[in-house]
Amino acid sequence: MASTSQPPLRFTSHKNFVYRLVFSTLTGRTIHISQIRPSSPTNPGLAPHEISFLRLLDAVTNGSQMEISYTGTIVVYKPGLITGSATGTGASGGVIRHELPVGCTRGVSYFLIPLCLLAPFSKSPIKVTFSGPGVITSATPTGDMSVDSVRTAILPLFNQFGIFNNIELRILKRSNPGPNGRGGGGEVQFVFGHQLRLPKTLHLMNPGRIKRVRGVAYSVGVSGSNNARMIETARGILNPLVPDTYVFSDVSSAPFVPAPEKTNPSGKKKIGLGFGLSLVAESSTGCLFSADVASPPSGGEAPEDIGKRCAYQLLETVSKGGCVAPAAVPVMLGLMTMGSEDVGRIQVGREVMAAESTIQLARDLAKFGAPGWGLRDASGENENGDVIISVVGRGIGNVGRKVA
Amino acid sequence: MIGKRKRDTAIVPRATTFDDEETPQTNTESSHDIFRKFFEAQFQPLDVPGAQITRRDDAEGESDEEASELSDTGSNWDGLSEGEDGPEVVQIVEHCDAKSLDLMDKKARKAFMTAKPPSSLVDRTPAKSPKRETESDKDENEIDADHLKNDLALQRLLKESHLLESASDLAPTGKNRLKALDLRMQELGSKESLYKQRMPSSHRRGIQAKAEMKENKRRKEARENGIILEKPTPKANANSSKRRERGVGGPSIGKFAGGTLNLSKHDVAAIQGSGRSSRGRGGSRGRGRGRGRGRGRR
Repeated sequence: MASTSQPPLRFTSHKNFVYRLVFSTLTGRTIHISQIRPSSPTNPGLAPHEISFLRLLDAVTNGSQMEISYTGTIVVYKPGLITGSATGTGASGGVIRHELPVGCTRGVSYFLIPLCLLAPFSKSPIKVTFSGPGVITSATPTGDMSVDSVRTAILPLFNQFGIFNNIELRILKRSNPGPNGRGGGGEVQFVFGHQLRLPKTLHLMNPGRIKRVRGVAYSVGVSGSNNARMIETARGILNPLVPDTYVFSDVSSAPFVPAPEKTNPSGKKKIGLGFGLSLVAESSTGCLFSADVASPPSGGEAPEDIGKRCAYQLLETVSKGGCVAPAAVPVMLGLMTMGSEDVGRIQVGREVMAAESTIQLARDLAKFGAPGWGLRDASGENENGDVIISVVGRGIGNVGRKVA
Repeated sequence: MIGKRKRDTAIVPRATTFDDEETPQTNTESSHDIFRKFFEAQFQPLDVPGAQITRRDDAEGESDEEASELSDTGSNWDGLSEGEDGPEVVQIVEHCDAKSLDLMDKKARKAFMTAKPPSSLVDRTPAKSPKRETESDKDENEIDADHLKNDLALQRLLKESHLLESASDLAPTGKNRLKALDLRMQELGSKESLYKQRMPSSHRRGIQAKAEMKENKRRKEARENGIILEKPTPKANANSSKRRERGVGGPSIGKFAGGTLNLSKHDVAAIQGSGRSSRGRGGSRGRGRGRGRGRGRR
């Protein structure tokens, strides 16, 4: 690629690790990330989930090279073409099987959301099955959203960019985080079959009003009455505000994963028990706000508390205003940046704009050569102290589709 | 008394997990309240005599005394509604039938809990579609319906044209109409023709014989008058040509009766014939002939 002549972009620290890798892949620039947890006495360098993400990138791309230093504190990543799940590279039968390691503390959404950002620019459809002893489908204490929220709050956003065909996220097996928040036993199938050259330019400046709330309550390996209790509490809070509130309940048995021991090499154990709630509020203009709370791995929290916290979290997210929930900011702004050379505008809440992750994203994007964002106060009827971000697309789009 | 204590302690630990700092008196009170609520949810609201309540209210300070009082009443459980403040407090116990709700929202669930990301547009369309129909839609529908009708008529004509005597008459009447209906029924999956009746075999044979006689007579007369008729249709000898439907698991050869497999000479010949051909020497007649022909050609 063109990146051969350019020097690598230099970043430090493990923050925003995945999005740096994603934007590197999308723009084709080599990156050099150093000082990844250098001062941690026990676990310096890359964490298991970060290594796993590098592996995933390796599987969906062709020709990418990565070098990890001896201690794991430095990574050099030279991106290749995003080929997707074409047979022959990493896929068998058109499906990439990605195994997550036992020690994974992050939910699958940690991998899914960046993958969603890559997928529209792939050469062929992306089909990935996440399996293995580290797949956590629920929300996690590390701050990842549940897979249900990804499906109901992140994937519909692609519709606004003209990406809507053949997108599926199938939860084959649910799992909450295992003991100490490590590992799970879930299985998730992700299909992203809509590839395009350039996403549409987005102008989203009317947040609208919340018209409905949907949600999924899940309990894995525990009684389904937990679901009913979470739902009742959450509805008790939300129903007076939005009458069209409905939360679906999903009860599944705990995954049964092999746990070999010295005395019992064929031993198995149940893992990932717990419950949780995912709520999504949809506004009249199609803006989505989500909230996710799951029972902590240590337990000891009543379903009523989970339901209440989740409902309040949803209200908080909505109260931040704007058209984008904080969790969806990287996806929306990333897609806008990758769009055609045109000015797209999006209204976000002041608090969302001021969040650390958003600022970090802006800095990283600027480093990758994206023109800076234009910020101005929103005016007119839906002001509420919101900020309008104007993003100029880079017009790179899908390199794999450029030839065709 | 001791027995009562035990029961009390059985209740208390649950409350202590929630609030350790509270005095034991309120603990027992709240636990009583919980117990009463649970009981009411299970059965029916307890009707507590007012006098008793007031007395409880008065004596709220001394929990020990109350405990003893409770024990005095023995197994009479109405003492548990002690936590009630006054008659104006109304307990609302909601009974929500989760099952019926689930049934109602099965459709919504199916739409939401799929692998696809839920889209609001998809949700809206089913609500809208039955509501309104514009003029153009109506016209299109009419045209579609017309096409469909014509198609059906053509299909029927093609299938039933052999019943029609004159080309002018497209809608069959009388006997022909009934026959056509019968054909359609069969096509739609009726098991038997309407005209296949159950009757004694002597009747059926009589009918068949009569039909044969009629046909023969017609042919004879035609021959005598020098009229050339169509060739007689080959007689469908159903018994010999068609393989009878056998049950599953029966023998593929021979007859199984009385616990023995009986092979006829024919069956034995069939088995041996195949065996001999594999042996290949000397051969059956067929084989010999085949060879001879081969030689001749060379």
